[in-house]
Formats: sequence, structure tokens, C-alpha cells
Amino acid sequence: MIPSSPQTPVPQEQRPPAGPPKNTRLKQKLRFLGQLTVLTAIYLVGNQVASLTSLPIPGNVIGVMLLYALLNLGILRLDQVQDAADFLLRHLVFFFIPVAVDLMNWGGLFWKYGLMLALAIVASTATTYLGTGWLAQRLRSREESCPNS
Amino acid sequence: MPQLLIAFTILLTVGAYLLTKSLYLKYRHPLLNIVLLGAGLIIATLVALHIPYSAYLPGRRIMTSLLGPATVGLAVPLYRQRSLLRRYAPAIVAGVGIGSLASMLVAGLIALAAGLPKEVLLSLLPKSVTIPFAVEVARIHGGSPGLASAFVVATGTLGSVFGGTLLTWAGIKDPVARGLAMGTGAHGQGTAMAFMEGERQGSMAGLAMTLAGLTTATIAPLVVRLLVRQG
Repeated sequence: MIPSSPQTPVPQEQRPPAGPPKNTRLKQKLRFLGQLTVLTAIYLVGNQVASLTSLPIPGNVIGVMLLYALLNLGILRLDQVQDAADFLLRHLVFFFIPVAVDLMNWGGLFWKYGLMLALAIVASTATTYLGTGWLAQRLRSREESCPNS
Repeated sequence: MPQLLIAFTILLTVGAYLLTKSLYLKYRHPLLNIVLLGAGLIIATLVALHIPYSAYLPGRRIMTSLLGPATVGLAVPLYRQRSLLRRYAPAIVAGVGIGSLASMLVAGLIALAAGLPKEVLLSLLPKSVTIPFAVEVARIHGGSPGLASAFVVATGTLGSVFGGTLLTWAGIKDPVARGLAMGTGAHGQGTAMAFMEGERQGSMAGLAMTLAGLTTATIAPLVVRLLVRQG
């Protein structure tokens, strides 16, 4: 990581006349844009695969699997995507807000079905927590009792 | 002046994000949810200014254009944690699998028994996974993205407030199992709580969050066929 604090004084001898901080910053920006292009391309390929195969699976799901496979196969390196990915994931919640504004169209629903919706959400969430937690803990304790397996 | 209106809706959304995020970072309470508070602020402003929902759509399209690439980026933390993934593979696969299936079946069966409209039922099914996957799963099968995102946030808030206590009460103490339950049951909000318990819980929850999204999206067609075709 290159420290980006603008207050850091740069020693005179490290500063060639053309002004390299600007230059490296430009390079960083270009690299970021390149990484963003890679992520977008993978997303679009995922969408294409989903629509061509008419699989009932979202394109972004296929995109995640594709990027994971490309990283594992060594076709892409982590440093070719991670700056853009980390930045977007840090602000992922921002993208959820405009999606949730769609609720504007659904006001009445919560009055009409609120109780049943709450019941469904509470029961389903509790079952998931207990099911996952219980099964994972069982498998883990078996793992630990026979370490050779 | 449609351009001006688009610019206004985008500025409004960015402002709502910054405001609710700073509130959350200050108090760190799970009820101060950035998504619901932010969307609530925006809806209140639009209603007060008599701006119809249709006027928000162009700005929404611009703002969510990066959501797809951002979601693909979830493969990066998954890849960074691949040694954990390999080490705990049996517990991860079985735990995330059973949790994702149970989440959809229990929510779907209750919705079916309560006679909720089909569009609502389909939006409820992916309620335990992170919003970008939930929204797409709902859309593909005929649900509503907005409703799906609300159910996701309701689940996440519930899980982050009560989930840890429920696991402790049920005698689930293993940090790997707790992390997996929090990520599978309550996506990013559960993951945030898991990181408060510890590094191991948090990493497991992060893995589980992404894997539960992939699993849910993959088995949703089967669950939909099971629940909706007979109804």
C-alpha cells in the first residue's frame, strides 16, 4: 500500500521535477478503473451465461463462482481485482438503499399481513440459526474426536 | 427538467447513506439499520415533496449499476479465506446447506399456510441471504425486489439482536459453528455481530454469508417448484 496522506512531506531528492505523486496517483486511478472493468466484465459474462443457458440462477451468482474459479486457477491474481473489490464491498450497503426505496409501493401490505410475515420471519430465522449451529457443532466435535480422518 | 430531478434523487440517496452511516458508526446498535433508515428518509422526502416513485427510477438505475460488479467482488474475501474453507469443509457445507434449505422451507410453508399472495411468498423465500442475491432470486421467480430487501433487513436485524443469545441458550458454543449460524441466518448483519464475538466467528460468518447466497440461489428453483406448483 502506498500511503496517500497529502500532508506527508516528500524529501527533495525523491521528487523528480515532473511531480511524480500526481503521476502515481493517476496510475492508481487507472489501475482501479482497470480492476472495475474486470469485475464488470465478469458480471456481464455471468449474466450472459445465465440468459444463454436459461438457468433459473442469477447472473451475479454465476459471476461470483466465475471470479472464484479464475482466482483459484491462477488466471487472475488477487492484485488484479482486490482494490476495486474491497472499495465496492466497503460501500456495498449504499447500493441496497435505492433497492429498498421500492418499499414505497408496498405500504399497505404490512398492515394487512404484518403478523403472519413476522411469524414467518421469526420462525424461519430461529430454525436457520439452530439448524446450522447444531449440525456444524456436531460435525466439528466428531472431527476433533478422531483427528486422523 | 428531468436531469435536475435525477441529480436530486441521487444527492438525496447519498445524503441519506452518509447520515445513517454516521449514526450507525456512532452508536453501533443493530436497530439503527442503514438500509431501512436510509430508505425511510428517502421515501419520507419523496412523499413530502409529492415526487412519485417513477421519478426515482432513473436515478435508481444509475446508482445500482455498480451493484453487480460489487457483488462479484464477494469472491475476493472468499478466496482470501480459502484455507479456512478447506479446513472446515464438512461443517461449512452441511451447516450452510441445512440452514439455507430450512430458512426457505419454514418461511415458505408458513406463508403458504397463512395464504399470503404468491408475490409476497416468493419475496420471502430468500430472506436469509444478502440483498444482491435475495433481490435477484426474488426477481427470477416472480417476487418483488423491494419486498425481498425489506424481509432481508428484518431477518438481519432479528438475527443480530437475538441470534447470539439463541445460540448460547441452545448450547452452541463452538466458535466455528456460531459464526456459520450467524452468517447463514442473518447475512451481513449477522456477520457484523459475529466479528464482535471474535475473529474466527467473523471470518466463518463472512464465508457462510456468501456461500448461503450461492446455495440459496441454486436450490431456490426446486423449493419454488415444491411450494408454488401445488398451491
